[in-house]
Amino acid sequence: MIRAFRILAANPLSLIGFILVVLIVFAAVFAPWIAPYPTHNGAVVDFLNNNRPPSAQNWMGTDLVGRDIFSRILYAYQISLGLGLVVLAIAPPVGTIVGLLAGYMGGWVETILMRLVDVFLSIPPLVLAIAMMGVLEPTLTNAMLAVTVMWWPWYARLVYSIARSEREEGYVLAAEVIGASSFHIAFREILPNCLPAILTKMTLDMGFVIIIASSLSFLGLGVQPPTPDLGSMVAEGARYLPDSWWLTVFPGLAILLVVFGFNLLGDGLREILGVDE
Amino acid sequence: MKRTLLAAALLAATALTAPAYAQSVLRLDEVAVGELDPAKASDYADSILMFNVYDTLVIPTQGGPGHDPHLATSWEVDGATYTFTLRDGVTFQSGNPLTAADVVYSIERMQALGQGLSYLFGGVTAEAVDDMTVSFTLDAPYAPFVASLVRLPIVDSVLVQENATADDEWGETFLSANGAGTGAYSVTSHNPQEETVMAKNDGYFLEINEAAPDQVRLRYGLEAATVRTLIAQGEHDISSQWLPPEVMQALANGGAQLLTESGTGGFYVKLNTTKPPLDDVNCRLAITNAFDYGTAIQMLAITDDVSGGSPSTGAIPVGMFGSNPPSDALARDMDAARAYLAECGTAPGDFNLEISWIAEVPLEERLALLMQANFAELGISSSIETLPWALFTERVASPENTPHISQIFVNAVTGDPDTLLYGMYHSSTPGTWQSPEYLNDPEVDAALDAGRQAATDEAREAAYSALNDRLMEIAPTIYGFDRQSVFAASDRVSVPALSDPAMAFGLDGMGFSFRLMEMTE
Repeated sequence: MIRAFRILAANPLSLIGFILVVLIVFAAVFAPWIAPYPTHNGAVVDFLNNNRPPSAQNWMGTDLVGRDIFSRILYAYQISLGLGLVVLAIAPPVGTIVGLLAGYMGGWVETILMRLVDVFLSIPPLVLAIAMMGVLEPTLTNAMLAVTVMWWPWYARLVYSIARSEREEGYVLAAEVIGASSFHIAFREILPNCLPAILTKMTLDMGFVIIIASSLSFLGLGVQPPTPDLGSMVAEGARYLPDSWWLTVFPGLAILLVVFGFNLLGDGLREILGVDE
Repeated sequence: MKRTLLAAALLAATALTAPAYAQSVLRLDEVAVGELDPAKASDYADSILMFNVYDTLVIPTQGGPGHDPHLATSWEVDGATYTFTLRDGVTFQSGNPLTAADVVYSIERMQALGQGLSYLFGGVTAEAVDDMTVSFTLDAPYAPFVASLVRLPIVDSVLVQENATADDEWGETFLSANGAGTGAYSVTSHNPQEETVMAKNDGYFLEINEAAPDQVRLRYGLEAATVRTLIAQGEHDISSQWLPPEVMQALANGGAQLLTESGTGGFYVKLNTTKPPLDDVNCRLAITNAFDYGTAIQMLAITDDVSGGSPSTGAIPVGMFGSNPPSDALARDMDAARAYLAECGTAPGDFNLEISWIAEVPLEERLALLMQANFAELGISSSIETLPWALFTERVASPENTPHISQIFVNAVTGDPDTLLYGMYHSSTPGTWQSPEYLNDPEVDAALDAGRQAATDEAREAAYSALNDRLMEIAPTIYGFDRQSVFAASDRVSVPALSDPAMAFGLDGMGFSFRLMEMTE
């Protein structure tokens, strides 16, 4: 742990990433207490104060119906991080199991599973998500579902490639010789060797999941109003560029910061855990 | 020798390109789709195309009530028969002469296709008395018949029939891509999703102002931010009326002029009267009283003197037959709303209203949020849904797919209240974009029919006044505000019909007659 922190601290970029992520998570969790206008995440309108540029009262200005943009960004972080967590709680385990089975068992299991993965990977992720959202109602749950469905194959592919090379290692052969079950070998012997790679990828992916989810809501397919969402805030504001720039720039910066933070942290983690590119 | 040849070639090249430099181009935009077939024209983009590519027998008088002869020179009314004498020497863009047969063909084509505004001509029989005389016989009295003729574009029957086939007897394929009118502008190219290019018709039967644009490019579906930037850079001339007020404001501050068109329409928040809980009149009255009319008006202000609307006084815009005086402006009344809600059969917590807004009209998103907040004060929950125009017009075709609440700008397509209200509220015309209420009320039907048949203006006034009262009582709609359409324009163009009240037409879209515009550069 101390070693980990030292490596992190030795790499200033990773440290910045770590600090950003901690700050954003803190801001999201404590949004109701930090936000200057905690009611502005709901059905509130204040047309006397709409479309105001940044000021002392509204640090990032107000939107077209008079809601405080800073407060809404804090709440939007809740949505984005929550969505990222749910996706990363489902996709990696599913992908890992598929990848382990295919990589260790080989034969027809490998053929069937990996071809299925190939099919999923051959469809551009955003297109798949848009197609799914087109069929389903645009809600937060369905956005999570759509992103999860397009995310697990990447983990299957990653774990599969590690499991395949580990399969030939001495310790696996040793376990086989003493009669360990396939289940034991796959999950107790090989899986621990895949974990660093999986963890690193998860950290890096957090940023990408947030971008994809924002892209979906930018297209009007994600969270529905009045719930704040970074992607839809950018989309709404884009009509009023360049005059009301604060409508777009601040939510856009918010996306940039969170993605940047997770990417830097992921890079640091890769070094700490000794994962190769 | 070589040198002379070269010089000659250069001269020839200059001669060829010179007229292109002199061409003045007008660029404007509207929401997709641009429907070119005049028998299917219904929305604003379609009307702009129709009024320029085609002509009608009469046109509204500029700056006042009534109608002037246009393709006709005069008309006589004898009971239910209207006889029109056509103007001599008018030719279509194809070169074919205009005859009474073209008029008969045009109305029959509209009736046969049954789309767009064909309902205006339901019970009309047309007959060519001779080459230059045409008569219309109505099977029921229809007071605003002459007014409705501004929606009867005359097509070139010879040209259309040449291009019709056995499976396409009315030449729909041909007319959806080509013009076949007498209009002041001819279609150079047409892509209904992207752009229509039109050119001045030198053979037009009236004198066209020298300064009128030589070429017009009408583009569809431009983003507000794009239009804003293009106008500021001098690369666009007239915006659509759907730009949000902030963007209009920014353009006006940057020196753009604001053009206006008013008096014939309103902003209507339509309630689906077939879908619970809005099938209950008390539930409807609860939300129509909860709507914050005053804030909606504030939202429309663009500059100190120009606004996108004025307070509504009822179902009929101020100034039309049957309208209430401006002093009767509707206002929010939360006590009344609560009282009606108590009578409503559904508990506020069980409402779950779907509030839709048209994706191309950003202002409606704000109005949706305003309604959501207004209704939340009564404890009514609602969800907001964005619908692109094309999807919306599909959804309203069945009552189940029609959202609880739809936001629509509607205009009297002929300038007469009949064409504003009949299409919205008569039980015979449900499920169009104008009628997502699916209203079926015998009293409303009777008043609408009376307004059509009344012989005198007083009788019409009385019929529409009764209609207005009834529509307030059963509240199928939140009568949001009386609409004034505003367009931002560059200083390269001057449009008297949209800036000088004495030149205004009193008919939506007619102000976009390009032949009356002047390019100043």
